[in-house]
Amino acid sequence: MDAKKDSAKGSQPREDNAMQMEGPDLESVIERAQGHDAEALGEIYRLYVRRVFGLCRYMLDSRESAEDATSEVFLKLQRSIESYDGSVPFLRWLLRVTGNQCIDALRRRKRGRQVIVEGEEGVAVIEATSSEPSPLGAVISTEERAQVRDAIACLPENYRVPLVLRYYGELSYDEIAEQLGLRSNYVAALLFRAKQELRRKLSHGSK
Amino acid sequence: MECYSEQIISIFVDGELEVEEAQRLRDHLSTCRRCRQLLDALRAENRVLSESLQELSEEAPSLVGVSRLRSSWTWSDLAIGGAVLALTSIVAFWIDALRIPEALQWLNPFSVSGGTNVIFNLSYYFSDGGTAMLSEYAAVIGKIILVLLVGGSALLLGRRFRLRQPGLRLLIVLVAMSLPGFALERRHSDIVTVRANETVDDTLLASGNIVRVDGVVNGDLLAFGGTVEVRGTVKGDLVSFAKRIVVSGTVEGNIFDLSNSLDLDGQLGHSIYGLMQSLHVNDRGHVGEGIVAGGGEISLEGEVNRSVTMFAGNADVSGSVGRELTMAGDNLTVTNTARIGGNLSASVRDLKKVHIADGATITGTREIQVRERENRFTHPIFYFFTAVWLAAAMLVGWLILILFPGFFQASTHAVGAGWRSLGLGIAVLAGVPVAIILTAITLVGLPASLMLLMAYLVAIYLAKIWVGAFLGQILLKPTGVTKSDVLLGLLVGLLILTVVRFIPYLGGLVHFGVTCLGLGAFAWQLYRFSRPAITT
Repeated sequence: MDAKKDSAKGSQPREDNAMQMEGPDLESVIERAQGHDAEALGEIYRLYVRRVFGLCRYMLDSRESAEDATSEVFLKLQRSIESYDGSVPFLRWLLRVTGNQCIDALRRRKRGRQVIVEGEEGVAVIEATSSEPSPLGAVISTEERAQVRDAIACLPENYRVPLVLRYYGELSYDEIAEQLGLRSNYVAALLFRAKQELRRKLSHGSK
Repeated sequence: MECYSEQIISIFVDGELEVEEAQRLRDHLSTCRRCRQLLDALRAENRVLSESLQELSEEAPSLVGVSRLRSSWTWSDLAIGGAVLALTSIVAFWIDALRIPEALQWLNPFSVSGGTNVIFNLSYYFSDGGTAMLSEYAAVIGKIILVLLVGGSALLLGRRFRLRQPGLRLLIVLVAMSLPGFALERRHSDIVTVRANETVDDTLLASGNIVRVDGVVNGDLLAFGGTVEVRGTVKGDLVSFAKRIVVSGTVEGNIFDLSNSLDLDGQLGHSIYGLMQSLHVNDRGHVGEGIVAGGGEISLEGEVNRSVTMFAGNADVSGSVGRELTMAGDNLTVTNTARIGGNLSASVRDLKKVHIADGATITGTREIQVRERENRFTHPIFYFFTAVWLAAAMLVGWLILILFPGFFQASTHAVGAGWRSLGLGIAVLAGVPVAIILTAITLVGLPASLMLLMAYLVAIYLAKIWVGAFLGQILLKPTGVTKSDVLLGLLVGLLILTVVRFIPYLGGLVHFGVTCLGLGAFAWQLYRFSRPAITT
């Protein structure tokens, strides 16, 4: 899948209501941050800490690890921001960095082994189509969204991590594959199975 | 054309399908209703996933870098405030040539075995050397504090030495507020006199080699210095740190006193609370309420309306005590002329040191207890209290771990910084009390100094928790870092610290070191906590 992708879905990273910094303002802040301006770095922190923490929280299993990972991201930001060249939107880049940080954390816990290991069943495209309508299809209320989050948190790591990276971090399959050391095909399979598992959990839970 | 599998469509919805295949799929979709429906369902599913994930829950990360305080009121501002208070106090001292009271020395824990002699001989020495020497001593200390505080605040402000706007505002407010003396009358000179026909309509703050009140003070009298004589009337309380205090007139309130000697010849409306080398209530002296005092020598010849509680080296009672007499100390003598309207309880080391004359009138019971030097380790109750103390510390540690886990971990790690934490801790341990006293002396800073005192004591209590947790983590080397691991480590660490503390001599030293370490770690963390996120 390294040929050019057709993007059927384009989305802008959603920001908190409180912060609507776009375009030239953000650019100048980033520039100043790259020049080691502590206030600019603090501004970036204020803008993005919740998103970064959110990603860490979903990917890692405890609040403390999420907090540690978030701190690490911003501590390293001073140096890492120099490598940001503006080719991708800043938030996406930041979430990529965050994803890396979380995966490192997961890897450390596994003592250097792969976070997710490719199974023997390979990447055969799963032909079976679930006949039931997905419980995730309907427009749902706040409580149900909370249920969805809980269900995601209960997913096993090899499903949860790619799922969160894709639908929260908005990373591409290739980016996820690169971070996790897998093939893109396998990432696609994982995502598919993750969603199936999620549907199963939610439909059982609602009964 | 066959229908596509759900997975392929899913990949298409994610925008990850290869261009050619995507085009083929689009062509197929134009004719196949089933696949279009599937596409819509999958799109909706993705949307819900994204929305659910991105709807951030209310829990905000309680990260180390997040400042909970409003940005206009942070630790650096408080540090500036403290520096300003100290600065103006010192300036005030210099300008007014204030005589520094003996109370600026460390107050040693009171000891009935005659240790009071040491304290008050020291104070005698200082005042004997002349108050000039004392003010120089205080000035030196003051300069050191000032340097520390200003340097500290400069550090806290960051490398750029820039005052932020809110900090500047606070500074101005504090300068205005800390100008001392706006609600009191202040008199400082070698000899301060309130003449016989003079009335001071305010609270009077007086200090000098001799403070003599022959007239009337309509508020409280706060007197510091060498000799304080009240021959006139004080309508409020008498608060005094001095070498010698003589009250031959009237004080309608209480006497709060820390002095070498207190002689009460006149009338006191309420009570005496004090620590002194010698307390003497003459036969003309009259105390409207009671006495709570600690002293080397206490002699009561006059009349006390209510009860007397005292810790004395030597106590002599020949006057009358309206209610109970409670005493703990070395010697007690109750003469024939004594009259005690309640119970008499005495706690001494040697029964022979208690002499109660037969002619003495004691309305209540007499209870004389002999205290023995006991080995506390043989008493089970000692272990009970130790267990309670340990449990309390664990509870506090657990609460902090639950409420501020990031802060807890960070403070614990900061202990590992070793020398930095130790050095910082010693500085805080020594510096804060002086800051407290200096702030209190400006009097308008009194509430601030009390708050600082509370915070100081709390920080000292917490010190052992950080060190205990750190010790536990080193020893147990937990593989994961869950809360129960941390708590277990804390328990182990605290147990070790408790046991070590009871080793004679070494235990005390270790305890001191632990307190400094913990205090330093805590202070360092507070400093980091107040920074907006980025520290290198």
